[in-house]
Amino acid sequence: MTAPRAVLAASRAGRTLLAGWLVLPLVPLLLWAFADRWTFPAVLPQEWGTRGAEEALAAGAGGAFLTSTLLGTVVALLATPLGAVAGRALASRQVPGGTAVLAVLLSPLALPPFAVALGLDVLLLRLRIPAAAGVVVLLLVAALPYTVLTMRAAYAAHDRGFEDEARVLGATRWQTVRSVQLPLVAPALAGAAFLAFLVGWSDYIVTVLVGGGQLTTLPLLVASAASATGSDAQVAILSLTSILPPVALLLVVGSLGRRGRR
Amino acid sequence: MPPNRLRPRTRAVLLVLPALVPVVAVVGAALASAALLSLGLAPLVGEPQLSLDAYRGAAGDLGTGIGLSLGIAAAATLVATVVGLCLALAATAAVRRSRLLGALAALTIPIPHLVGAAAIGLLLADAGFLSRLLGVDPSSWPPLVGGPLWVAVVAEYAWKESAFVALVVAGVLSSRAASYGETAALLGAGRWARLRHVTLPLAAPALGATAAVSFVYTLGSYEVAALLGRAHPEPLPVLAYRLFTSIDLAARPQAAAVALTTAGLALVVVLLSLRALRRLAAER
Repeated sequence: MTAPRAVLAASRAGRTLLAGWLVLPLVPLLLWAFADRWTFPAVLPQEWGTRGAEEALAAGAGGAFLTSTLLGTVVALLATPLGAVAGRALASRQVPGGTAVLAVLLSPLALPPFAVALGLDVLLLRLRIPAAAGVVVLLLVAALPYTVLTMRAAYAAHDRGFEDEARVLGATRWQTVRSVQLPLVAPALAGAAFLAFLVGWSDYIVTVLVGGGQLTTLPLLVASAASATGSDAQVAILSLTSILPPVALLLVVGSLGRRGRR
Repeated sequence: MPPNRLRPRTRAVLLVLPALVPVVAVVGAALASAALLSLGLAPLVGEPQLSLDAYRGAAGDLGTGIGLSLGIAAAATLVATVVGLCLALAATAAVRRSRLLGALAALTIPIPHLVGAAAIGLLLADAGFLSRLLGVDPSSWPPLVGGPLWVAVVAEYAWKESAFVALVVAGVLSSRAASYGETAALLGAGRWARLRHVTLPLAAPALGATAAVSFVYTLGSYEVAALLGRAHPEPLPVLAYRLFTSIDLAARPQAAAVALTTAGLALVVVLLSLRALRRLAAER
């Protein structure tokens, strides 16, 4: 197909604009992260350095990084198996009232997280449930819709014939799950775990409302640095620290998914 | 085979329960507790007494908050849907497909909204990166961050959600549009006719669903408006947070009233969009 030159130019300009839309917000983040001095109206920093990183470390970025990683991991470890098991049951169409059950499982997507956290906070305080446990349970519920949806789709496309064949050949039920079923849905499991990790890793409002100051995660540090004035380098380095692990995970999960499709 | 195997239906119910129980417990308890608190039936001090005082007390701020929250969500969703559709079209085009745009959109997904807000702040503030690029003095730079039009808040949601719209719509288009498009081209359909009669109808259900998800998310999200917005008037989540963390204990029931109103609003939006999506599916 040949296109007139004007169409070609317009399409190229459109694509450049779209790429700019996606990338532009990240440019000041990358520049500020390594800027020691960057006064107006300079377009690039006048002095490069690690002041932002030093400030971030002094503000407790190391501990917050570990807390966020732990929170994301715990949420993923809980939400992935629960979502997988429920997703398999829902895909089998054996659950009575399956549509209603799915609607309830997806309801946390429709409800504002702050409203759920605010309502539960009073109750958690009265029941004397530790703040960290409350945060984990709330984030688990927020992550379940993603893992259930992912795993339900995976099991709907999954051919149970392979499992029946393994059973016929004498494999035990557990062997079938471990050596046949899990390898087949592994890419979907990785995707579900990634989404659940993101819920725990990115959360701000639940940790603030229910955490009661016991959990200091990276988003809390980003928010406190961003609402103070004059610490743009610190904001940028904390933000980059919050972006890099999930992006690295996404690349890993993506390559797993591609290998699974082969 | 193990003895006394469970019936398939019983087994399915047992498999669903571990996920269903925490969701029902948390959502049910949270909504019930907020309802009791907002109706004066679970006071922190004093006797429980049924009253609508919390709703009456918050009515003024609640009204402005509803309008503001709906406006921000509508503006952000509109921009996100249009830009997201363009991104999806470019990423799945039959000729000169842009792998780069698809990859950039995918990499935007895992960025936390709070970080997006920090980045948009560094970009759009006076003396921010954009004003330096354009060479505009801070004194004549429009108040995008914390201004009356909530530009920075809308921009952050539109930016993040456009990547989400793009990925979902591109997923639908890449699996189905190519063959239909080729058939239409062979039958003599031009560029615009293919876009109007093949691509857009194929993309419409996914576009509608992602728009609804973005709208509901924006409606109930706190941190972006808190960071990039202004102190007054407040969107619903910011209003609820301020009331809830206020020293005045009487404000707590009002916070619960705002939270329940937001939840109700989100639920109405979800039901309306489900109905619209079903109608869209029935038309085809």
